[in-house]
Amino acid sequence: MTETLLDIAMMHSDTLVTRAKQGDKNAQGKLVQLWYKRIYNFSYKFFLDHDLAMEASQKTFISMCRNIEGLQDIARFKSWIYKIAVNYCREEARKTKNSKSISIDKVYNVETEESPQWENSSIRNDNPEKQYQQTELSDILQKSLMELSAEQREVVIMKEFEGLKFREIAEVLNISENTVKSRMYYGLDGLKKILERRNITRETISYEL
Amino acid sequence: MSYKPDESALMAYLYGELQGEEKRNVEKYLAENPEAMRNIQEMMGVRKILSVVEDKEVIAPPIVLDDFKQRYFWNTPYLKTVISIAASLMLLLVAGKVLDLRISVVDNVAQLSFGAPAVKAVDPAQPGLTAQQVQDMINNSVQSNNQIVQASWSESQKKIDASIRNNMAMNSNKFNDLVKEASKASEAQISGYVASLKNENQQLVKDYFKLTSNEQQKYIESLLVDFAKYMNQQRTSDLEAIQMRMVNMEQNTTLLKEETEQILASIISNSNTPVNTNTKSY
Repeated sequence: MTETLLDIAMMHSDTLVTRAKQGDKNAQGKLVQLWYKRIYNFSYKFFLDHDLAMEASQKTFISMCRNIEGLQDIARFKSWIYKIAVNYCREEARKTKNSKSISIDKVYNVETEESPQWENSSIRNDNPEKQYQQTELSDILQKSLMELSAEQREVVIMKEFEGLKFREIAEVLNISENTVKSRMYYGLDGLKKILERRNITRETISYEL
Repeated sequence: MSYKPDESALMAYLYGELQGEEKRNVEKYLAENPEAMRNIQEMMGVRKILSVVEDKEVIAPPIVLDDFKQRYFWNTPYLKTVISIAASLMLLLVAGKVLDLRISVVDNVAQLSFGAPAVKAVDPAQPGLTAQQVQDMINNSVQSNNQIVQASWSESQKKIDASIRNNMAMNSNKFNDLVKEASKASEAQISGYVASLKNENQQLVKDYFKLTSNEQQKYIESLLVDFAKYMNQQRTSDLEAIQMRMVNMEQNTTLLKEETEQILASIISNSNTPVNTNTKSY
């Protein structure tokens, strides 16, 4: 994962967090701007649904702005905000499980057609076919991720895509580091089997790309 | 080799979170166990594949917080309603003042008026006509009116009486005259009329008998003529029929005669010929 300007800004957001903690609305707004993409992407991978991800992210940030004054350790802001996000994701998942409604995105996936990914991906490469295959593969991989249990999925997303340390994940989920590693192990193992079943290996990918 | 790293150690190694002794142990173990090495390499492959997934771009929506601390005393809904009621009451009071609205209750009569109430124009103390006077006035006027009406009425009645009498007298005279004239004329007329009737009747009966006898004569004559004609016709037709029959009979007899002649001729010829024929045949 290449580090963008945003990532660098996120890493050096300690002063921003301090100011937000003191009740600075401007700083809080900037924190939302900085972290929204990360939390949204975490939620999106958790649900594979744009609306649910937006819902969870917005709730996360509303909660963040309300409760940041109570944050004890500024250094633990990252695990703190993921903790909120995980809780809201779980809550939303419970709700949708009960309501049994099917998101319109699942019936007619507008997201894949109209996502801003299309516009923003021009820097990635100049080959549209390759680009399409990559998007397709990305979709398949995220669907594979959905086949994991929620516990394993949380850990895999946080470790693999959000780049949290095992210690941080343990803090987020309030479990031991060993449990996190174990879930990660079985998560990866499960993914390996799912991908094998879907006939996706490093070789096929490198051939395709 | 007794050391065997558990799953967590392998994961920590995979994500580069192992250091020093532990890391070296795991590396050593993996080098000696190709099975475990392959497993780790496969997991690395999965990680590599997963790295294809890219973040979705998203624009952070404005996070709106209803900031309850910002709510001051004058923003509370109860105070707002109370103030609005007070303001509307104030408005009513001002409007009442401007329009000089007065509300008064006198002798169970509630009055709503704009400006001072009007002074009553009627003064009960002022002397006026008594009821008796008014009655008298009415009576007088009624009496005079009655008298006038009576006078005009009797006058017109007299006029009508007079005109009726005149008419009656005139009519009776005329009628009498007419009746007299009629009675005079009728005697002579009736005798004349009866005489003329008699004559007319006589004439009529005579004419009738004459006419009828003539008619009858004519009719019988014509009847007789017709009958004679009919008889004649009948006779002629009978005669014609008889003649026809006679002619027919004559024709028949002539025909018969001819036939017999022919037959006879043929018999004769036959009686002559057979000899010839016989002779010829034999």
